[in-house]
Amino acid sequence: MFLNVFFSVINVHMLLYIAIGVITGITIGSLPGLTATMGVALVLPLTFSMDTEAGILLLLGVYVGAIYGGSISAILLHTPGTPAAAATVIDGYEFSKRGESGRALGISTISSFIGGTVSVLALILIAPQLAKLALKFSAPEFFLLAVFGLTIISSLSGNSLSKGILSGGLGIALSFIGIDSITGFPRFTLNNINLLSGVSFIPVMIGLFAMSQTFITIESIFTSSQVTQKLTRVWPSKEDWKKILKTTPICGTIGTIIGIIPGAGAEIGAFVSYNYAQRTSKYPEKFGTGITEGVAAPESGNNGVTGGALIPMLTMGVPGDAVTAILIGALTVHGLQPGPLLFKEHIFLVYTIFLGMFVANILTLIFGLSALKIFTKVLSVPKAILTPMIFVLCVVGSYAINTNFFDVGVMMLFGIIGYFMQKTSMSVSPVVLGLILGPMAEANFRRALLMSEGSYSIFFSSPIAIVFIGLIILTLFGPYVQNRIKKRTV
Amino acid sequence: MDLSLFEGKTMKKANIFIAILFALLGVIIIAISMTYPPSKHGVPGPGVFPIIIGVIILLASATLMIKTVIVSEKIPDIKKIFGSEFFNVFITMGGLVVYLVFMPMIGFIVSTAILLVLFIRWFAKKSWWLSGLIGILFTLGVFALFSLVLNVPMSFGLLI
Repeated sequence: MFLNVFFSVINVHMLLYIAIGVITGITIGSLPGLTATMGVALVLPLTFSMDTEAGILLLLGVYVGAIYGGSISAILLHTPGTPAAAATVIDGYEFSKRGESGRALGISTISSFIGGTVSVLALILIAPQLAKLALKFSAPEFFLLAVFGLTIISSLSGNSLSKGILSGGLGIALSFIGIDSITGFPRFTLNNINLLSGVSFIPVMIGLFAMSQTFITIESIFTSSQVTQKLTRVWPSKEDWKKILKTTPICGTIGTIIGIIPGAGAEIGAFVSYNYAQRTSKYPEKFGTGITEGVAAPESGNNGVTGGALIPMLTMGVPGDAVTAILIGALTVHGLQPGPLLFKEHIFLVYTIFLGMFVANILTLIFGLSALKIFTKVLSVPKAILTPMIFVLCVVGSYAINTNFFDVGVMMLFGIIGYFMQKTSMSVSPVVLGLILGPMAEANFRRALLMSEGSYSIFFSSPIAIVFIGLIILTLFGPYVQNRIKKRTV
Repeated sequence: MDLSLFEGKTMKKANIFIAILFALLGVIIIAISMTYPPSKHGVPGPGVFPIIIGVIILLASATLMIKTVIVSEKIPDIKKIFGSEFFNVFITMGGLVVYLVFMPMIGFIVSTAILLVLFIRWFAKKSWWLSGLIGILFTLGVFALFSLVLNVPMSFGLLI
């Protein structure tokens, strides 16, 4: 079994797919305005005609590469390539100001690799155990799990809880459209034949994450940024290595834990890791002046999220972040349903993903250290030319799913909605997560009541269900209680 | 759309607009769901979950509205959400909508090449021939990738 998995990933064909994914990811990630989610959403249509394993590994390569790639422009241009690299800007650009951009990029590359590797190890150790536990779940537990996921998503997205709930509510409302899975009754279809099978969620994602982002780019399309610095020595010094090895395993673990929490993405992982490194440092006042830990912590933290986010996605079908929400879409296109049964019926694919993630991190390290000069050249590609091309890719990508122009219209509509949501500080991630978790919550809620013949006591009948209820209450009221305690102590 | 509605609009006004818009959505969801078949033997019908979500959306809208109106000083009132650059975005959106309407009728290659040439010329200020070259080459590349490699049927419309 393990040898089969090994040879299914470690062969020229698969390595090429992962390498293409990583290179595409680093390129997309390094370009300000193009996010990791956008990259995965744009590459997704290319995987429809591929083998499941090849397609998923290509997307994972893009994911890992893009989260790392964001640091390149954060360090060189003072602009994070992806939101995940926002914390890297603080110390990373200070290196560039001193003419040490090569050193910062080297620290970032090594730290990303260590953070990513820690998260893959956690994925390999935790996911199978969690899947075993999830096999014991039935309808009430899955309903409560979906509700727990939704409450966390709402509370973690943006600075306004109300807006988070509204955003998630919009996603759930969209999931109602189409024929009801239990009674076969058509809901909210407006007598449109295209809506009978529901809103296809890949065009919604391409619209929300790729198209809306290009509209944001249009706002600053007439301003250009150029890299003027020459890259110096990239390989970290002995002193840097000591600090990297001290910081990155812990920050990688922090990132992994953040990744496991549904809805918390690489951006949060990076900032929490940065804060941790600063709080525990002997010289916290030096953070922000361009020190090794200031780059190592956020970079290991954000790449730590990648493996962590896959844990709830693979084991329970709950996306850890927006990218894993797209990966659910990719698996669904290939007729696979993420969740505990994936570990029972498609264990070969699961182990291929584990090994593929590991390989993607190694390739990111190799490309990061050997081809940085080429990737920095990418920053010179004018976004004024790139943006119209992304428009076309969004259109063709959403058309390719069902070869239906209606999907293109859906993508465009959500591109516009996503733009206005971002302009009004509403996070777009809860829409997609609501779209995924909404049907899971509804179907299991009704299935549970069908099992209990209408008795609501079924939701309190197992220890797992009670744990979930406790977690839901904690998530909903925890921040409120914490605020009250803080106010009293002040 | 009245563009002046957004020009210089503050976050406070935007929040009120969002609250009203979502409250309307909540009401529509509830109203439509009420017409769906009822629950049977304690098992919720197709309208129950949408009604619950509709109510949650209404409550969240009301909370946002109350917080925005009463606790308004906490919101960065001076923040300008939509500046003059919004006009470029609006024109782009309009151009894309026109493209999407005509693309199925005209055909992918011709309509996409025209769209790209116009946008590259506008955004990048490149010469017509260079914009044309980039636009046509990229269109042909995408067509070849999706049509020939991925077998997506891309031949439609009056032209190509």
